[in-house]
Amino acid sequence: MASAEEIKALVDQVPPLDSKDTKDPMLKTRPSDGKLTGPVWEEAVQILDPILTGGKGAIAAVMDLLKPVDDGADYKARYVLHAMAQYVNRKGKEEEQSMVVDALLSALKGRDKPIQGFLIRQLQVCADGRASATLGTFLLDKELGEDAANALLAIRQGAVEQFRSALPKAKGKAKLTIIQNLGVLKDARSAGALLEAVTDSDEAVRMAAAWGLANLCEASAVDALLRAADAKAPWERAQMTKACLLLAEKLQAAGKADEARKIYAHLRDTRKDASESYVREAAAKALSG
Amino acid sequence: MKRGTTRITRRGFLKGSAAAAAFTIVPRHVLGGPGTPAPSDTFGAALIGCGGRGGGTFSDLSGRHKLNIKQLALCDVKFLDKADNKKYYTDFRRVVERKDIDIVAIATPPHWHALISIAAMECGKDVVCEKPMTRFVAEGRAVAEAEKRYKRIFQVGTYGREGAASGGNKVTRKIMISGVMKNSDASYVRRGGFKIKEWAGRVDLKPEAPPKNLDWDFYCGPSPLKPYVRPRTGGTHRWYWDYEGGGLADMGQHHLMGPAYIFGLDKTHPVEVEACAPPAHPEVSGMWAWSKLKYANGFTLVLESGEWGEPSGMQSKGVRMEDLSEADRKKVEEVPDLEPEIGFGEAVKTRQPASGNAEVSHHIVCLMHLTNVAIRLGRPFKFDPVTERAVGDEEANRLIDQPMRAPWHL
Repeated sequence: MASAEEIKALVDQVPPLDSKDTKDPMLKTRPSDGKLTGPVWEEAVQILDPILTGGKGAIAAVMDLLKPVDDGADYKARYVLHAMAQYVNRKGKEEEQSMVVDALLSALKGRDKPIQGFLIRQLQVCADGRASATLGTFLLDKELGEDAANALLAIRQGAVEQFRSALPKAKGKAKLTIIQNLGVLKDARSAGALLEAVTDSDEAVRMAAAWGLANLCEASAVDALLRAADAKAPWERAQMTKACLLLAEKLQAAGKADEARKIYAHLRDTRKDASESYVREAAAKALSG
Repeated sequence: MKRGTTRITRRGFLKGSAAAAAFTIVPRHVLGGPGTPAPSDTFGAALIGCGGRGGGTFSDLSGRHKLNIKQLALCDVKFLDKADNKKYYTDFRRVVERKDIDIVAIATPPHWHALISIAAMECGKDVVCEKPMTRFVAEGRAVAEAEKRYKRIFQVGTYGREGAASGGNKVTRKIMISGVMKNSDASYVRRGGFKIKEWAGRVDLKPEAPPKNLDWDFYCGPSPLKPYVRPRTGGTHRWYWDYEGGGLADMGQHHLMGPAYIFGLDKTHPVEVEACAPPAHPEVSGMWAWSKLKYANGFTLVLESGEWGEPSGMQSKGVRMEDLSEADRKKVEEVPDLEPEIGFGEAVKTRQPASGNAEVSHHIVCLMHLTNVAIRLGRPFKFDPVTERAVGDEEANRLIDQPMRAPWHL
């Protein structure tokens, strides 16, 4: 395995940041301070391949160059790690991808949170379902929960189970994030939890749950969503109406015409104010179609 | 407005007549016009995103679009020090829920464009939204679905399409949309004007505390919450993947509105995308040389930056009637007359789609999004124009449909 010094020397091959004196034949315009005109891919691969050949230890040595504050001091290490995450997504690089994912997962332990956040975002680029369980452990973390949720949403494989198992202990923003993402992932097994959340004390949770039920085409949610859609507060009313229309469209497409008609008829008959006539018309058109 | 016992507000009239007026010009005596101004011809309007282009976008409502506008609200996340929820707002949701607002002009950074456009249409508003229409592919589909579901008028803030709809361009468009093109070697090369270096990002900036008047969490919105550095706001938001995607994302929709009309690129998407660029930085956009976007009929769109690397080696090659067989020419001649391209003002009054409507604009802005996906992947990929997903390429799809922070979602 290459030594830490050798790895650092490879990372240092990333070009310096542009300055007025930069002379790069590839650059056809006047350079600006602080911008990065990266190497062509062929040159970048000359940096990446030896690191990958060095195995997990070599990748860890790059991660050791990361600093908690992203102020440019470690731009080369960040650039190399991100390029590596892109590079191993290529066909034929499955073994290297697996190694990079393992290295990123191992490196998550005991690092400063900003570094953990950066590493999670690289997993979002290149990881598969093997990363989901580890990412799930961050869902209730105040600083890293959103990054972990984003990575899980990108990876998809194994994500639903993580959101589902984190939900009972989730509060505040974490609960909202999890409820919303169970809907994004159309988790039919979470329909009960989402139905319960439609009457949550938090308006944002209520709206996320209603939209989630619509997105997963949950026929048993029709009555709950129609009740919610008669909310007085205008923003919540509009959002719950959106959930109803989305559910009706999905029910119609799924061959559940009666349930869809129930939604449309309710919206046609309750949206009497001129300011909601566009909803009434949309519902009436669907009923006549 | 009160005329006898019949009181029809402009808003109620437009909404109630939307379906019936689908193919009808509303009589000027109803809406008012030269010499017969009617109160019902005044539109309550709000501007969301008041920096940069905001003032121009809003004044276009009365200037370019010739609408009688009453400005009712201004909304910006940097109004923490003066928000009163009457005239000044920081939360766009409080604006779009107002019943007296008919039109919303959006000039926020692009990571908010889709969400605010959709929210406004869900609340019954018509929308003018600055370019680029969206930040990634899936957002555009969601905006187009909202436009269709609620039958609202949407117009992206760039207008090259209206000028392109004339003379020989219409013939080219008819050829392209007629379906006669197969295995074509035609191409269009757009060189330069993308401000690539200008909107490539700095990577050496030290995080600092956000200004007291800025709601930084709300500013980040659907994008990841990152440490504040000043260029993440203001015009330099263009540097960041989180908010836009460089000069390509920013300028491309301007440059391609016309060519997309001419070559019918607003009807479908490319099937293969390739770009020449260095590996992308994780946070900021950088340099690139060219991208090639190939369509199922063989047509290739080429974008060249002229600011880095070598040219693509491609030249524009036109599409001409005289190159077609007699049978194909006949098919082209059978293409129905093209719909007129109408501006936002007329669209609002007639309830017909505006020239830069969401469906059209989505197809155009996707050319930039797909190029940026290829740049960020560092390799070519295939795209399905129907599902709007990369084919067998989940890493590409992670950029085509990006996660959002709750409570924001498509």
